[in-house]
Amino acid sequence: MKNNDAELLWLDEHHEVTASELLELSGLSAEELEWLVETGALNPIRCVPAAVTQQSQAWCFSGQCLVAIRTVSRLKRDFDLAPDALSLTLVLLERIRVLEQQLLQNNSQA
Amino acid sequence: MKFKDYYEILGVSRTATSDEIKKAYRKLAHQYHPDISKDPAGEEKFKEIGEAYATLKDSEKRAAYDALGSHPSGQEFRPPPNWSGSQGGQSYSFDDIDLSDLFANFAGRRHGEQHHGGHGPIPGQDYELAVQISLEDAYHGAMVDLNFTVPEYDNQGQLKRVAHTFKARIPKGVSHGQKLLLRGKGGKGANGGKNGNLYLNISFIAHSLFRVAEHDLLIDLPVTVWEATLGATVKVPTLDGPVNLKIPAGMNSGKKLRIKGHGLPKQNQAHGDLFAVLQIVVTPNPSEQEVALMKQLADISSFNPRTHFGLDTTNEK
Repeated sequence: MKNNDAELLWLDEHHEVTASELLELSGLSAEELEWLVETGALNPIRCVPAAVTQQSQAWCFSGQCLVAIRTVSRLKRDFDLAPDALSLTLVLLERIRVLEQQLLQNNSQA
Repeated sequence: MKFKDYYEILGVSRTATSDEIKKAYRKLAHQYHPDISKDPAGEEKFKEIGEAYATLKDSEKRAAYDALGSHPSGQEFRPPPNWSGSQGGQSYSFDDIDLSDLFANFAGRRHGEQHHGGHGPIPGQDYELAVQISLEDAYHGAMVDLNFTVPEYDNQGQLKRVAHTFKARIPKGVSHGQKLLLRGKGGKGANGGKNGNLYLNISFIAHSLFRVAEHDLLIDLPVTVWEATLGATVKVPTLDGPVNLKIPAGMNSGKKLRIKGHGLPKQNQAHGDLFAVLQIVVTPNPSEQEVALMKQLADISSFNPRTHFGLDTTNEK
């Protein structure tokens, strides 16, 4: 099978995902995404200055956040998470990600 | 169609209240949810649990399920004539569908949506895959064969892991822990539904010589006492072939010498650096002459590397 690079997306801090990509890939609703941004659990890296009507549609996020967003989306679906739990879970997942990265870094330099 | 006992899967009786069903689901979900559980069989188990709960939590679906009667798990059965689940829909060929398909369409039908043979567009499933690559592959980029298994129902209605093979190009510039997304390479969508996506979690296989620190590499560089003292030029391996490294005179163990641009590639074409970490190694089996020369050095040298201890060293031998 051929692998087309156009289908390849890097999920890291060097690449962006748009709000609509994030919604499509994570299964979150636009309201839930807005709530995550409103509570500070998720920070857009920039706003597209284009003439868009809806605020949430103009956001761009670090590609890195998609993994955690998908996880909270699944947890929300399967455990019926309330909005507050959704943003708290995201914050804690991000903290775990950073700690795991530091651990990895320390281990490799030891 | 094979029968699945949703009550048995959730571990509740057929007369359980909706609260009891919810409680049983929550308990099992905490145990087997793939985002929480470390159980490798958790994913399959959770799929069954989720399917059972999706049907039993909905009073209408549950009534329709109950109307199917009770059969041993895995036994072939057909819904009774005029079964409530099939009213208003097209006639099914019950042989080639799964019990879960029957209930997946229930809500849509209830709301009067149009269905073709009872099936709306079903998006393909997303899959996550751990991919281990060598540092050489990370350095040059590589085509890798991804062999993975996905849970699918077999003819007996049992969840089994089915092998899939897929070739993917891992681009230059990936780092340890990198996540990649291959759009549309997950499970096949059905009835016009989109294909799922494939998420790759890249990790590096431990290398016998190099350690990784983001895009930089570290290599332990053993040197003799005289190389460290006098300086030397030595050959050091890199992922791109050996290079000559000049060790300045008077280098201690632990000193890092940078070999610029010989680390792992970054996404912007640049490379990280390779750091050679000096390790002074003593001769394991010194000859008589080597021992004699060392003794001579000991006699003539007044160097004491431990002056900071502030101890009286007159009695040291």
